[in-house]
Amino acid sequence: MSETTGVAPPQPHVAHEAHHEELGFWRKYIFSTDHKVIGIQYAVTGLLFLLFGFGLMMLMRWNLAYPGAALPLIGGLFGDARMPGGTMLPEFYNELGAMHGTIMVFLGVVPLAVGGFGNFVLPLQIGAPDMAFPKINMVSYWCLFLGGITMLGSFFVPGGAAQSGWTSYTPLANIAGTGQTWWLIGMIFLITSSLLGAINFITTTIQLRAKGLTFMRFPFFVWAQFVTAFLLLLAFPPLEAAGVMQLMDRVAGTSFFMPEGLVVSGQVLTNAGGGNTLLWQHLFWFLAHPEVYVLILPGMGIVAEIIANNTRKPLWGYRSMVYSLVFLGFMSFIVWAHHMFMTGMGTAMAAFFQTTTMIISIPSVVILTALIISLWGGSIRFNTPMLFALAFLPMFGIGGLTGLPLGLNITDIPLHDTYYVIAHFHYVVAPGTIFALLAGIYYWYPKATGRMMNETLGKIHFVGSFVCMNLIFMPMFIIGMAGVSRRLFDAGTAYDFAQPTMHWNVVSSWGTWALAVFQIPFIVNFFWSIRRGEKVAENPWHATTIEWSAPSPPPHGNFVAAPQAYRGPYEYSVPGAAKDFVPQYEAS
Amino acid sequence: MRGTGNRLSLAAGLLAAGLWPGVAFAATVTGSVIFDGKVPALKPLAMDAEPVCHKMHAGKPVANDMLVLGSGNTMGNIMVWVSKGLPAGKTWPAPKTPVVLDQKGCIYMPHVMGIMVGQPYRILNSDGILHNIHTLPKINPMLNRGQPATVKEMTTSFPKPENMFQVKCDVHPWMSAYIGVFTHPFFSVTSTDGKFTIEGLDAGTYEITAWHERMGTQTASVTVGANDTRTQNFKFVLK
Repeated sequence: MSETTGVAPPQPHVAHEAHHEELGFWRKYIFSTDHKVIGIQYAVTGLLFLLFGFGLMMLMRWNLAYPGAALPLIGGLFGDARMPGGTMLPEFYNELGAMHGTIMVFLGVVPLAVGGFGNFVLPLQIGAPDMAFPKINMVSYWCLFLGGITMLGSFFVPGGAAQSGWTSYTPLANIAGTGQTWWLIGMIFLITSSLLGAINFITTTIQLRAKGLTFMRFPFFVWAQFVTAFLLLLAFPPLEAAGVMQLMDRVAGTSFFMPEGLVVSGQVLTNAGGGNTLLWQHLFWFLAHPEVYVLILPGMGIVAEIIANNTRKPLWGYRSMVYSLVFLGFMSFIVWAHHMFMTGMGTAMAAFFQTTTMIISIPSVVILTALIISLWGGSIRFNTPMLFALAFLPMFGIGGLTGLPLGLNITDIPLHDTYYVIAHFHYVVAPGTIFALLAGIYYWYPKATGRMMNETLGKIHFVGSFVCMNLIFMPMFIIGMAGVSRRLFDAGTAYDFAQPTMHWNVVSSWGTWALAVFQIPFIVNFFWSIRRGEKVAENPWHATTIEWSAPSPPPHGNFVAAPQAYRGPYEYSVPGAAKDFVPQYEAS
Repeated sequence: MRGTGNRLSLAAGLLAAGLWPGVAFAATVTGSVIFDGKVPALKPLAMDAEPVCHKMHAGKPVANDMLVLGSGNTMGNIMVWVSKGLPAGKTWPAPKTPVVLDQKGCIYMPHVMGIMVGQPYRILNSDGILHNIHTLPKINPMLNRGQPATVKEMTTSFPKPENMFQVKCDVHPWMSAYIGVFTHPFFSVTSTDGKFTIEGLDAGTYEITAWHERMGTQTASVTVGANDTRTQNFKFVLK
């Protein structure tokens, strides 16, 4: 494992010294081209939007737990058009629902997982001085920022923000209020941001690797970001095209998604016709299923790094994990229509997509199994990042396994659009991916700031979050299997069959609000530790990958000297070695 | 002196008349509307889909409010209004009193109503279940708003005049009502006896329109003098 092979030459770090002049505030912190600053911009933006999107959900959960009751204290702040007397109107609930999904996916998790961790960690892990296209990197962030502002601004247009769900299904979205137009414009910015980022990640990973860093010496996190970038690059353009087409349907009188003679509320619409509403679903899910993996893969990458580091063992089955990752990325492009069994696609098509969906579960299981087996026999350090990483495994496991019935036509049809679906994908993304992202924050925080986060606050954060996440989502399986639709703003008050499940909504809602309380230690810890956290050197975790050779925080250009990879990424507990880790950047 | 007294009396009378034109010179158009032909057997409203609504009527069939007939086949729920002939440029202030639409027993009450531009439109939810108010105008902004059980009333208004359009509930598809928005107060909805009365008109010739949700509109020209009352009857046929 110590041989060096021919790869891209190390970057001439001396070149950076030529432009090391002190930058002004605006160029250093606002319109920066430094991947680390951009990574932090992405991460902070993503965290703020996660908090905002979570806030929207906390409001929704009030109405689900106590349908029709006036929201105490703050209910009156939302005005009579949304919450007369503090009581939530269904239209406002729809606004909150659509924007919660959109914000959490496109403005929360993706910017944090890909933009934040990808930008900050990936160049450091491959020993690069920066991203391949620093200015494109900056433009990518500012496209995200504009998209975010547009989404937020849509709350203030007449009729409020988008109300057609995060999927923006036609024809509903075509005939919805002005907020839907803003949603589409915002999405075009966000998609552009991701595309620019993806090009940069792929180019950087291939071209700016340190000497000796072969593909099979990549940390698993790098592989995860690399495959994710391909998913973004190939899956987002169809949605961008679809978004422009839907925008034209709304503002320019086209009918890409509008059939002729469509009757809405008893009236025939006067659009030109000739369009196809299902076309939108195909284009949307062609992006949105790979998007699920865009949300998951960076999380898997983070967890892999932390598990290897804290078990003090190499990852079990690294190669099989990498092959599974690549296969999973490929397969994610041919499973999208399992979201559309209810459209009556016919048995042949359903059979194809059921088969591909079952197949794609195999690489996921391989990766998860390898991570679990990696724990076996390890000398595990139960620090905060490791606790979050460990929690990811069963949470993602529950999310993944409960997805199988949704991938089969016969079981999907009764479960479709019930709370079961909500529970399933939130187990994947919330206690799954978000736990992984939190693990990553605790893990790389000392690299970004030179200080550790407080362990006690971190563990309070973990225990509270773990309990609350399960209080929120486990009841949803029960509610969903009772057949309660996820779209009901009052949790099904009017339906007899929903009555036995109503109390579970109270449990779920209190879990949500308690989860918010347990984020306070994290927020305090995050800011407190910037100035008060324990100071650490460049490698506080005794880790093996290249980013830990850079000073903490890394300077402009990242490394004092061009790093070189001499071995694989996880040389822990090597028999005969002087210490229990042998960094891949150390010659011997 | 007698001449002077007569002139004073005449002036006082004219002044009083000017201050209270509705009484002194106002003309009235009245009439009745009847249904002509074989009365169709309408299916009762099917509320089975909403058990709460079904229970409100003790499970009994609820008459379809599309055709409401009195004895002698007089027709209720006919909107009658002055559609032409009002003096150009004259405006009538909208009353502050709201027009009320109630949702009671999962039925809109009243089924047909008129309102003036800018007049408050008060929507009540007496049922205590989720309803939805969905107006389908061509000119005015559409209102499509849910009214949960605990939101007992909402108030809105219509900014532009518009002939009859539907109000429906997207939760309970059988719930339907119709509303017309006018710039003047010269409209009337027939009750089951088929009678309507439009008061306070100046002397002149007017086009009177009568409307039914399925049988369309009929118009008639009516000339009234000062303090005159004219009768204009309408007859609707189901084609």
